Amino acid sequence: MSLRPDTPLDGPAGAPMGAPADAGALDPFVVEVIRHGLSAAAEEMSLVMTRSARSPLLREAGDLSSAITDAEGGLVGQGKDIPVHLGAMAYTVRELLKVCPAATLREGDSLIYNLGALGGNHLNDVKVARPVFVEGRLVAFALSLAHWPDVGGTWPGSYLAAAVDTFQEAIRIPPVPITLADELNRPVLDFILHNVRDPVSCEGDLLAQIAATRAAERRIRELCGRHGTGVFVAAMARLHDLSEAEMRAAIRGIPDGVYEGEDFLDDGNADGSPARIHARIEIRGDEAVIDLSGSADRVTNFCNTTPFIARSAAAYAARIMSGREMQQNAGALRPLTIVTRPGSMLEPGWKAPVAAGNHETSMRVVDAMFRAMERVIPERLSAGGPATSGLLAFAEPLPDGGWRMLYEVHAGGEGARHDRDGCPAVRVHLTNTSNTPAEVIEANYAIRVERQSVRRGSGGAGRHRGGDGIVRAYRVLAETMWLTTCVERTRIPPFGLARGAPGAPFRIVLERDGEARELPGKANLLLRRGDLVTLEGSGGGGYGAPEGIHGDAHGDARGAGARGPA
Amino acid sequence: MMAQTAAAARPVPRGGRTALPAAAAPSGGRAPLAAILHPVSAAAPAARQETPDLQDLWDIGTDIGGTFTDIIAVHPGSGEARIAKVPSRPAEPVRAMLEAIAAVGLPPTAVRRFVHGTTRVTNALVEERLPAVALVATAGFEDVLEIGRYRRRELYRLDVPPKAPPLVPPALCFGLRERTEHDGSVSQALEEAELDRLLAWLADTGVRSVAVSLLHSYADPAHERLVAERLRAVVPYVSVSHEINPEAREYERASSTVFNAAAMPIAVAYLTELEERLPLGAGLQVFHSAGAMVPVPAAKRRPLVMAASGPAAGVSASARLARELGRPRVLTFDMGGTTTDVCLIVDGAAAMTDSRMIGGRPLRQPMLAVDSIGAGGGSIVTLGPGGLSVGPESAGSEPGPACYGRGGTRPTITDANAVLGYLDPEALLGDTIRLDVGAARRALAPIAEALGMGVEAAALGILSVANAAMARALRRVTVERGVDGRDCALLAFGGGGPMHAAGLADTYGLAEVIVPAASSAFSALGCLTADFAFLEQRTLRLRLDGLDAAGFAARIAGMEAAATAPLIANGVPAAGIETAHVALMRYAAQSEATPVPFAMPLDPAVLAADFHARHRQLYGYATAEPCVIEGVRVQARRPSGTGLVRPDAGRPPRPARTRRCLFAGAGTTMRALETAILPRERLAGPEGGNGDGGVAGPAIVEDAWSTVVVPPGWRARGDAAGNLFLTRSAA
Repeated sequence: MSLRPDTPLDGPAGAPMGAPADAGALDPFVVEVIRHGLSAAAEEMSLVMTRSARSPLLREAGDLSSAITDAEGGLVGQGKDIPVHLGAMAYTVRELLKVCPAATLREGDSLIYNLGALGGNHLNDVKVARPVFVEGRLVAFALSLAHWPDVGGTWPGSYLAAAVDTFQEAIRIPPVPITLADELNRPVLDFILHNVRDPVSCEGDLLAQIAATRAAERRIRELCGRHGTGVFVAAMARLHDLSEAEMRAAIRGIPDGVYEGEDFLDDGNADGSPARIHARIEIRGDEAVIDLSGSADRVTNFCNTTPFIARSAAAYAARIMSGREMQQNAGALRPLTIVTRPGSMLEPGWKAPVAAGNHETSMRVVDAMFRAMERVIPERLSAGGPATSGLLAFAEPLPDGGWRMLYEVHAGGEGARHDRDGCPAVRVHLTNTSNTPAEVIEANYAIRVERQSVRRGSGGAGRHRGGDGIVRAYRVLAETMWLTTCVERTRIPPFGLARGAPGAPFRIVLERDGEARELPGKANLLLRRGDLVTLEGSGGGGYGAPEGIHGDAHGDARGAGARGPA
Repeated sequence: MMAQTAAAARPVPRGGRTALPAAAAPSGGRAPLAAILHPVSAAAPAARQETPDLQDLWDIGTDIGGTFTDIIAVHPGSGEARIAKVPSRPAEPVRAMLEAIAAVGLPPTAVRRFVHGTTRVTNALVEERLPAVALVATAGFEDVLEIGRYRRRELYRLDVPPKAPPLVPPALCFGLRERTEHDGSVSQALEEAELDRLLAWLADTGVRSVAVSLLHSYADPAHERLVAERLRAVVPYVSVSHEINPEAREYERASSTVFNAAAMPIAVAYLTELEERLPLGAGLQVFHSAGAMVPVPAAKRRPLVMAASGPAAGVSASARLARELGRPRVLTFDMGGTTTDVCLIVDGAAAMTDSRMIGGRPLRQPMLAVDSIGAGGGSIVTLGPGGLSVGPESAGSEPGPACYGRGGTRPTITDANAVLGYLDPEALLGDTIRLDVGAARRALAPIAEALGMGVEAAALGILSVANAAMARALRRVTVERGVDGRDCALLAFGGGGPMHAAGLADTYGLAEVIVPAASSAFSALGCLTADFAFLEQRTLRLRLDGLDAAGFAARIAGMEAAATAPLIANGVPAAGIETAHVALMRYAAQSEATPVPFAMPLDPAVLAADFHARHRQLYGYATAEPCVIEGVRVQARRPSGTGLVRPDAGRPPRPARTRRCLFAGAGTTMRALETAILPRERLAGPEGGNGDGGVAGPAIVEDAWSTVVVPPGWRARGDAAGNLFLTRSAA
């Protein structure tokens, strides 16, 4: 199943999607009404998830996404969720259909899977796909993605920094029916629950995912009932066309040419040196080729990623660069040809470990593309931000052999822009998950949050300053605690734009018995009672040379940053 | 149309930007439209009693919007009701209230009870015209507002700041060395010297309103109480988090407490002035966002309860009407100039929520679950490459929709209504200004041209898109509560609600539309018909299995006493007070709790069964996991003595006539139909108008303040109380 650069996932013209429609006869208002309906259905899915799921990662941090696709798997409706998920979900059903052809799908069945090869990203992100039939005709899919806090494997939380292959990471779930004729398929559920460390939460989370897809099915049927199935299908095709036209118009606004940029992960090459992500962007009329082939070979840690994630990241960056409002759907991808090289860390083969690449390497693709375009359209970009999950995952072994797991992501300062300072303490680009409140952590885990502050002065200087990062300190109250760190931007700081200064990098410090030492950004280690782990989130890069802003004036500039543009 | 602008200043809770209309012009300048069309004197003829008998006292409800104030006066003895609409005066709110009383022909001495709902607090919070506030937090957590939850508001936009800046700047946040743990134990005592350090710091800042939000104060508020006691000796305004939002989650609790602290100086100033100018004692009341009334002293201490009180009042009246009409499920549809507010009512009770975003910041307190969307009559319609959209930008009251002929050139929903003939070109704009249908057509023309269709077809299309946006709001409020919205009746009020209701009902598949008698002043009426009530909420976190029944009963009794005390203090006899209990239930591993009513003495098995059933209804499944009572709400209330009334319109009805109006036909076709224009009085009465079951659409039913569109395929009939019912024709 290797993907070669000469057969990119997205041809420039794009495959025709949806049933052929008489475009001229389609009422534009009906299209708009259906667009509202699709977005509402996806938002409803996420609402069902956050309100009824078990894991704090889902209910507090919101590490989940919901989408509706057309019958061919082209994304047409999405919730306000996590961009990296949503970008990959454009492929999750399309690739599924290659191994489970539509003819094999039946009403009331839904499939669960997490394989990278099937439009996947990392094994923690478990998908439930429900084909939606109306009067016997397959018209759409409801797709729920949730980051499960543990999917088995070597280390609780399923992030093994030194993994040499995917088998060490987690259970691999090929597409299997989790509901049959809308009844829970108990044997499959049991099989999965026996391979994860927190089966109780996991079951609740999965039931919530199934309920979410069921809710979307109901809404899609209502839309078809009201407007007619043919009109519904035609409207989805039109929505793709509208976004395609918008993206083409945006690309036309960028001068033709070849633009190159690069950025680096903190390490990952065999010799421990920073692994390169390279983007070569060729603008030709209203199409763009984003060639990521120049990126490093497969890395020695879990920062490899799937070609779908590379595409998700590139599509996000293209959307930002367009500077336009458009519905994010499969049509917006049509003018883009995104190329990855087999053997590179962006297409390392399906057995490579990929847990971290999902949120680390993907972010570096965005950064490399920003660097490529920074001289052409700097006003549409921002300087470097906390482009990492900033993850600390704590797992406490319980007497009964179970685990209690806390998955904590961390923000930093946003990169500055041409017209404003960066915002402090925020997630950027491909992620948008939240922290877990200290009061919730302390009531549920053997951890005390000793402090959470803004990391003053960490934003890079510039005509506009980068936002400040954060500091959060965790005291271990349990006998032992298994810690995973998954943080990039610890060595290579968030970049400044247009001669702005970089922000301060991420930093993780462990204090034990009165001694402090810095922890690596990607590691698995054991903590013990009394340990204090302090994470410092990066400051954002500055924008523009810091003209005459020195000394005390920094304070003023920061104050302005906290308030946004005047 | 008038009341469309009256509601114009309500906030859009989740959107980043909120379009706010210009304040009503002062009387010396160009008068607001409603004042031109319906001079204050029109609703208050001099012939009415100017010097009332001292025993002849009235109850008054007012809804004070950003632009207009609606008032309704009800005479308890005769049942007479008067309504009026006057300009709000944002700079002089009390004066506007007194003018409103004069507008219904009453002197202040004729008022027995005065209940008001107001957007004043919400507007101040949204517009951030707020006095300086200091925040006292546990040391190490003083940046809580700046950090928030890390999330950005827009996924795919870098041009807008990703988060709202903190309401309290870092220089006014103080870290207090103390610490309470989640189980209520104290791990770092609060020293006297630390309190002194705080007071010295505060004196330097000169700030007069302080929010105190210490870690885990919901588990034990002792430290917060200590701090508050010391602060109250030196500053006039102190808000403590365990009173405002006694729940875990430090950011949300601090944010809510800061909102209260910011609102306090504003609210206290005007409530104090109101008390002086209208000395009614316990008769002076404020409508609060949980759908009941509180006396002024309670509102001064906790002005946050007034946030969104205007929309809540309309919902409250709707709940009352739903009970009286015996409709088990009702969706309210309150369409104003800038926003539309919707809420679900099940079995006569409005749905509640405990969180809302104001200006991008969280507010947590029990409130009616009113969902606002940024689409109202004045919302501007734009055609972008991505499609057609409505709002959130609004033409407001100045310049207003193009058809008002006051300089507006951009197309609005109201202009679409004008093009379709739904607005009366003669009566609506009175003698001085004519409804400018030509201007409306010109405003819509570019959109029609771009889409290659006629202006009329574009107008119909715009209404269908607006209906889709509103249907999405209806969807949200029903889905969150596990209700199939199509089983509901749509209760339409506000300026635009009755005009759009049937179209929305068609879009969403609703079978019945109800337009209440006092539809244009329904929120003001809601202030009078609501119960007098107090709500207590506590975090308990008790496992349901093995619950200590006696201990639980003692805690509930304590909460009942706390909720009842203010009612008794306001002269309500204890025997007339009803209490209701709601458990906030969750599975042990969940965080969001599901409200489940229960009766005392508690039967844990019944509560568990009710919770499983409710969870299944909401989310499609239930499990055998252990259940937790996360918290409990106890409400004490005395039912209102004022019923729903039928107001005197204050001006004579216009004779019936006809006009050519445009309606959607089958598919995407359009029909131009000669349409009956009827005064609303014709449909009122036990026989429903002509005695033949009402009037068949197409028809337009008018009264002095609102326009009800009855499209083809719908019938309208009235009842004796003056309510209108629209249903689909059998044929």
